[in-house]
Amino acid sequence: MRYPRIIDDGSVWIVIVPPLIWALHFLAAYWIAAVWCAREAGSLTPAAWSIIVLTILALVAISLIGRVAAVRYGGFTRPGRESAGDTQADRRQFLGHVALLLCVLNAAAVMMTAIPSVMFGRC
Amino acid sequence: MAAWQPPAGWRRISAVNNSLIGKWYLLTAFAFFGFAGVLALLIRTQLAVPDNDFLSMRFYNQVFTLHGTAMMFLFAIPIFEAVAILILPEMLGARDLPFPRLSAFGFWCFAIGGVFVCGSILFDAAPDGGWFMYPPLSSDPGQTGIGTDIWLLGLSFIEVASIAAAIELIVGVLKCRPPGMRINLMPLYCWYVLVVAGMILFAFPPLIAGDLLLEMERAFGWAFFDADRGGDPLLWQHLFWIFGHPEVYIIFLPSIALIATMLPALSRAPVVGHSWVVLSAIGVAFLSFGLWVHHMFTTGLPDISLGFFSAASEAVAIPTGIQIFCLLATLLVGRAKLSVPLLFAGGALAVFVFGGLTGVMVAVVPFDYQAHDSYFVVAHLHYTLIGGMLFPVFAAVCYWYPFVTDRVLSERLGRWSFWLIFAGFNITFLPMHWTGILGMPRRVWTYAEEMGWHGLNLTSTIGSYILAAGIAVLAFDVLRPKGRQSPAPADPWGAPTLEWAREVPRRPWGIRSVPVISSRYPLWQQPGLANEVLRGEWFLSDSPDADREMIVTDILDARPMFVQRVPGPGFVTILAAASLGAVFILATFHLWLAAVLAGAVFLVATLRWLWTGAGGLPSAPTRDCGRGLVLPLYASGNGSVGWWAMFITMIGDSTAFAGLVFAYVFFWTLHGSFPPPGTAPPAAVTLWLGTALLAGSWGMLVAASAAMSRRVVALCCCALAPLPAGAGVAVLAGAAWSAGLDPTRHAYDATVWVLTLWIGAHVAGGIVMQLYSWARLLARHMDADHDAELRNTVLYWNFLIVQAAATFALIGLFPLVSGGVP
Amino acid sequence: MRMPKHIWLALVGGLAGCDGRHSWLAGAGAEARLIEDLFWPFLIGAVAIWTAVMVFAVIAFRRRPKGSDERIGRAIILWGGGVLPAVVVAALLITGLLTLRAMASRPSALTVHVDAEQWWWRVIYETPDGKVFSANEIRLPLGKTTLLMLTSDDVIHSFWAPALGGKLDMIPGRTNRMTLTPVRTGRWGGLCAEFCGAAHAQMRFEVVVMEPDAFRDWLVAESEPAAPSALRMERGLSLFLDEGCAACHTVRGTQANGRVGPDLTHLAARGRIGAGLLALSDANLRRWITHTTDVKPGVRMPSYPAMPPDDLDQITQFLMALE
Repeated sequence: MRYPRIIDDGSVWIVIVPPLIWALHFLAAYWIAAVWCAREAGSLTPAAWSIIVLTILALVAISLIGRVAAVRYGGFTRPGRESAGDTQADRRQFLGHVALLLCVLNAAAVMMTAIPSVMFGRC
Repeated sequence: MAAWQPPAGWRRISAVNNSLIGKWYLLTAFAFFGFAGVLALLIRTQLAVPDNDFLSMRFYNQVFTLHGTAMMFLFAIPIFEAVAILILPEMLGARDLPFPRLSAFGFWCFAIGGVFVCGSILFDAAPDGGWFMYPPLSSDPGQTGIGTDIWLLGLSFIEVASIAAAIELIVGVLKCRPPGMRINLMPLYCWYVLVVAGMILFAFPPLIAGDLLLEMERAFGWAFFDADRGGDPLLWQHLFWIFGHPEVYIIFLPSIALIATMLPALSRAPVVGHSWVVLSAIGVAFLSFGLWVHHMFTTGLPDISLGFFSAASEAVAIPTGIQIFCLLATLLVGRAKLSVPLLFAGGALAVFVFGGLTGVMVAVVPFDYQAHDSYFVVAHLHYTLIGGMLFPVFAAVCYWYPFVTDRVLSERLGRWSFWLIFAGFNITFLPMHWTGILGMPRRVWTYAEEMGWHGLNLTSTIGSYILAAGIAVLAFDVLRPKGRQSPAPADPWGAPTLEWAREVPRRPWGIRSVPVISSRYPLWQQPGLANEVLRGEWFLSDSPDADREMIVTDILDARPMFVQRVPGPGFVTILAAASLGAVFILATFHLWLAAVLAGAVFLVATLRWLWTGAGGLPSAPTRDCGRGLVLPLYASGNGSVGWWAMFITMIGDSTAFAGLVFAYVFFWTLHGSFPPPGTAPPAAVTLWLGTALLAGSWGMLVAASAAMSRRVVALCCCALAPLPAGAGVAVLAGAAWSAGLDPTRHAYDATVWVLTLWIGAHVAGGIVMQLYSWARLLARHMDADHDAELRNTVLYWNFLIVQAAATFALIGLFPLVSGGVP
Repeated sequence: MRMPKHIWLALVGGLAGCDGRHSWLAGAGAEARLIEDLFWPFLIGAVAIWTAVMVFAVIAFRRRPKGSDERIGRAIILWGGGVLPAVVVAALLITGLLTLRAMASRPSALTVHVDAEQWWWRVIYETPDGKVFSANEIRLPLGKTTLLMLTSDDVIHSFWAPALGGKLDMIPGRTNRMTLTPVRTGRWGGLCAEFCGAAHAQMRFEVVVMEPDAFRDWLVAESEPAAPSALRMERGLSLFLDEGCAACHTVRGTQANGRVGPDLTHLAARGRIGAGLLALSDANLRRWITHTTDVKPGVRMPSYPAMPPDDLDQITQFLMALE
């Protein structure tokens, strides 16, 4: 008997990817600033610009996943819907909902990460 | 069902049942809590008045170091594992965790390591460098004596046990759920266990890597943290806090999970916003890895870098807030009656929210410039840890006490202990905020009267004794004999989760029969389920082979896949834990030869453990579980629990490796030229040859796996695969050797050598596994349809080859492109 | 209850807080005041939020369930648990970063190197005429921004004068920069904030904030060799040299040029001895010399418990003359 692997279904990945995007964006921002300040120690403008570009890319990626998640969930808001039933559809909706919420949270976190890069002109 | 009976008499210590191991784990963790609590009272007594000489400076430094160390490593983390081992299987309707012997091994490692670390204080040899052990103070054996070695090696040993438990819990949640418990029906507690165990897997390995580097510097003079030799003390702080901050959430999340599990029962309503809670658990887990530098705000990093970590530290408050408000909303919807667990949960809320609010304050960089390392931070961290962890754990003790002992705790003593603890706690720690504002730094063994700190300190000391009295009341109630009390009802709280569908008195096999689950709160929403379970009307109510058996299901939808046989009691796990402990303890005292011998014993014990485990060929291809469910009795590859355990282990292992890679790249960032001018990196061609030989060994293994139907070919491949593996390591080491790299000379040399050493050690492990597979084949424990061990070995080697390739790229190729060659 | 207790503490502590030599709220430095400006709004906000959450918790517990509760609960999760914290923490982040930027952008008029040792502070003033060495006491001109260059050679220490500003670590292999701008004259306390081994608890210093003119005069005096009146005390000086003090301590103008311990050239002009530990006085100096390790366990300087009283008199007089 074959069972669907979690990779095949894809529903777990939309849960994991939004926070992973935050993590990669965060590490990249930290890394760019650290290397730039260790080497140049002067104006931050080029580093800040590259972080802003990365931020936009990350937000676009998160919103794409958010769209997929919203489709699975069945819309952006469905008040009172608990997805607590014993069907495959409920499981899909549930993971869709979690992924959608994670997209919102991580989009906020990505934007907060970007704030420091526009506030400092020098290292 | 008699298979589940643990041995009687003194042989009981060889038991592996989760009900026993969990209880021992819990009691041991609480024993260490008591020990660390006594140390806390010593600290408070010393600080009660200015210029006190109750404790000497030397002893005080040991006491505060050990207090932090024991509370963190011997209580806060193990208690999560203990509670999970105790209640998770029953909550999942499983008979046990998938690797009972691994639980037992983890427990014994924890007990041995904990006694070793704590016992050092009796010999005036306890660690005295503070629980975060900053080098160069800790890397200088002249200043910090053997205590630091005890800390490094003893804790590494315990961390191994923690990771073992984490692997087991992840596999338990993913694969051992009852049929029908889809991922959307899984109790919140299981979500948290999954998330937290995953965090352990990514947080602990960097610390183990750091421990390795620091111990190499202490024992052999390798240059990692010595600024004069190209090292940097800040590397340790990074590695330590990449562990240390997620660690705070590793402690906090399971306790929130306990409250989220108790609250529906106590307030008679389902949790409002189930998916929001899952969101916040996952969100906190990820964000908590972006906070580590907020422990390093005052190290002089660039402002912009501090800003990133300040942002993440603030952002983590959002999911934490969601979590708390989900619980409050549940309270709003439900009809709660004031019980002792609810009282403790309320105390947790009051205390933790306060700690969280000071937390977002210290996440503001300039504010932390003042607060950092002052008593303000001491107050803050105790508010978060005691509010976020101790109060919920005490609530859980009162709530699950009937589950573990069939008796109930006294309501009156419970209230007394709560109010004493709550009042004592606030009297101790609320004034400490102000002590910090008045400039008192942490970790001082005394202070002068002129500083003006004595009034507040005396208040704190009085409070700490009230707090201790409250804990003593609770401990008395838990431990006092209750022989004359009549047994508690099976489900005293009217709880919805499966662990309460239990037999009274408690039986060693966990659940009587494994039901199909179709709701989030089965005992509420599936009427009659408990009785059906107890009457043995569901699956696997007995085993014709008198084996210990459990049902394994798939990850997403919990469809039954096969029946897993799990091993019974055995002394071999204790021997393995004791010999591994001996390796670490002997290494502490630099008794290298004895340590190697102990290592050999460990190897033999582990091989015997695996060989005699329940992994052999089954007596029949399938098992009739009852109600027409017939399942295979064997699985290999990515359906089996062993494969998942290996996969998860290697994820953790790769994280530790990533810690070493981080060290290399960190030095590169720092120095601009790494390797330093005048040093030639090992020849890329030689490194390439070594890596290619390793790849050859891996290829032979893959060939063996593909050729399982032709036994002779598989046997030959397994037997010959170690040859290129050994040659490959020799070539890699030769490359570093012939480049003239001396690890005591410069951080570059040391980093290259430690990476080579890492790969070498892993290849040694890989060779053992190849030979083990060969022996299993030879002994006909494996054949074409039953090849679990070989496929697990291949999986190990997949990871190993990726690490070897990464090492090659880092040492061989990176200097060519980064312009480091002179 | 907890709220009144906190206010009570704030009131009582506030009195001590504004006067304390080590208090964050003493307002002796522009940097400390920037942080203090954050503190009070933080405190009021935290108490307000905490009270609101507690009141809500009590209501949620007491209220009889109604049909609409689940809807209200969801709204509260979204707005109370999600949106409100997000707004608050974003505001905190931006406020904190603005303060950080304000602290970082002060041009300095004077540079002072502070080099931490186990367990004392070497202080070096940069002047146009060269470096001026001192120890354990830092004098700063009022209203001027001073750049501190913080280093360490042995282990990690942390420089903290709470009344003047935040703290910054001193890490081997690195030089950390921090500015202080004193706005109140007086003697302020400072200490090591990072655990640095045995005598960490007793590694203190003083910051003396002076009017700029007085500071200039003092710096000139500090750069001079030891006072001639002290150098004329031949017996005390020769004891100082013979007992081995000179191996570790420098007294400029004599053969004593040790660099292991604090420079003592103008010891008697300082307020304290033993790295900020004891007030400078004849009696304390005797106690320090004869009971060094009792006063400061772990200290590197050996005790001289058996020094003859007459010798002790002489050496103390010599030291007290080093103005």
